[in-house]
Amino acid sequence: METIYTLGIDIGSTASKCVMLADGKEIVAKSLIAVGAGTSGPQRAIDAVLEAAGKTREQIAFVLATGYGRNSLEGFADHQMSELSCHARGAAFLFPQVRTVVDIGGQDVKILRVENGAMTNFQMNDKCAAGTGRFLDVMARVLEVDVNDLGTLGAKSTKEVAISSTCTVFAESEVISQLAQGTDKCDIINGIHKSVAGRVAGLAHRVGVQDDVVMTGGVAQNSGVVNALQEQLGHTIHTSPLTQYVGALGAALFAYKKCNK
Amino acid sequence: MSIELMMKQFQDIANNPNKQLADFKAAGKKVIGVLPYYAPEELVYAAGMVPMGMWGSNKKTISRAKEYCATFYCTIAQLALEMLLDGTMDQLDGLITPTICDTLRPMSQNFRVAIGDKIPTIFLAHPQNRFADWGLKFCMDQYNDVRKMLDKISGHEMTDEDIRKAIKVYNASRAARREFVKLANEHCDVVTPTLRSAVLKASWFMLKDEYTEKLTELNEELKKLPAANWKGVKVVTSGIVCDNPKLLAIFEENHIAIAADDVAHESRAFRTDAAEEGDPMLALAKQFANIDYDVLLYDPASSSNRRGEFVANLVKESGAQGLILFMQQFCDPEEMEYPYLKKALDEAGIPHIKLGVDQQMRDFGQASTAIQAFADVL
Repeated sequence: METIYTLGIDIGSTASKCVMLADGKEIVAKSLIAVGAGTSGPQRAIDAVLEAAGKTREQIAFVLATGYGRNSLEGFADHQMSELSCHARGAAFLFPQVRTVVDIGGQDVKILRVENGAMTNFQMNDKCAAGTGRFLDVMARVLEVDVNDLGTLGAKSTKEVAISSTCTVFAESEVISQLAQGTDKCDIINGIHKSVAGRVAGLAHRVGVQDDVVMTGGVAQNSGVVNALQEQLGHTIHTSPLTQYVGALGAALFAYKKCNK
Repeated sequence: MSIELMMKQFQDIANNPNKQLADFKAAGKKVIGVLPYYAPEELVYAAGMVPMGMWGSNKKTISRAKEYCATFYCTIAQLALEMLLDGTMDQLDGLITPTICDTLRPMSQNFRVAIGDKIPTIFLAHPQNRFADWGLKFCMDQYNDVRKMLDKISGHEMTDEDIRKAIKVYNASRAARREFVKLANEHCDVVTPTLRSAVLKASWFMLKDEYTEKLTELNEELKKLPAANWKGVKVVTSGIVCDNPKLLAIFEENHIAIAADDVAHESRAFRTDAAEEGDPMLALAKQFANIDYDVLLYDPASSSNRRGEFVANLVKESGAQGLILFMQQFCDPEEMEYPYLKKALDEAGIPHIKLGVDQQMRDFGQASTAIQAFADVL
């Protein structure tokens, strides 16, 4: 039987991700461009994944878009779905025992309850950047460090520093104040991680946390946030090297399901 | 006239209250602005004037009102003041400022100071202890003050008979709106969330007898249609105001119909009728006392979570699968009531989502994601 190729495209607020699947099982190619909705990112990510797989659009049976910019691919994508459903589906593919998904994206935090691979309940953050990837970007800029180094630097902390989890703007002022007082950057970063974890844990408890807990989205690469959240939730958090692709993976899986309908 | 055309007319009115105001003035009518919540509009009607509801705006941005308002005042109150300051409502002949919530109470004074002598303001303090005789008496005293001020503005004294007639007109209007809400559920393929909102919203900008006549005509036409064979999902909406067409369009994109509502701007405003016989001032005070299951009003039996159960039952009885709560930013009563509502919904096994909204929102990306995901869950 001929192989069915499906493509999931996750256009987030800060990155564009693509995953191509063969027969809804095997990842054939993936791509990531570090700019998202409203930029050249989505097209570049699509070009990259097609090139990596050696395929053309015509050879893809079904394309499903998700993420904040999911409506921008009209004419290219066959269908669009919310990233919440896609993250739940992608996480269940990677971790079949998953019951709770924590997705920290560029501008949203989402907690998903998953049962038998499907989302049954969820919570999203209010319209506020505190606790999101954007919050970490802002803090990294103030601290003059690379956002990708936050996890390593936070691990070197030796002293507890409390940072507000209420508001990005207030937290930025607090960080500047701590820097002015000569507080060690590593301690501040550790405080920032705990601040993010506190915000996310509060949201997670509204849904109820059940094992297995899986963290998805770019922030899952930050071991400082993962460890702080693990501590606050009292549950082991599973992450995957594919963490940034989970939404696109879920979209490709839904695309395969659509083909078989 | 076709159903589509009738609903389009309501939509035009809902979208253009300033034209309504100008038309009323051109026709020689006096118009009274009525702020939320529960002002006895019947008295304005009885005085031969036009009451116009002022529930903020989805088109304006707060600028001038900032001079008078704390940041944590809801946008509904701030945008009402904005419209009084930027000339939009200059043609008003008076303004009734009820004070049932912690924002509207101080705002009643802000309105007075901000607009000065431009428009007479009528202060109205409803009693929270509204059931006992002394509560009713207090409410009647307040309503009598409103009546006297309205008489002054209209230039003649309204009679008790005028008020009894107004009560009849308003009861008929409330009944027609309650019937429309049921018909909108049965015919949700025709009465989309956007049109449903527009039909109900238009009631705030029309004389109620004219509104009821048009709505009854629409209801009669809707009754002739076969019940919708709805393949999408149905929800109940809850909150203070859910009238933003962009937000409601997201419902339509995701095949979500509104089965019923627990919205202050919609059904909460027409659940309770007033007695048509006897002392009309007492009838209006008793009507206010009889309003039940309301976020803003004192419930002596609140510990049994009657309101939460009422809303949960509304979801079940209307055939909805879930509830979407539009949480107005800085609305303390709604925020504080939410845990009780959530408890009742959870106990009844009813899924729900809470969306933070304010009237200055122009981007609904996050709401769109949440609503689409909720439709997936349902």
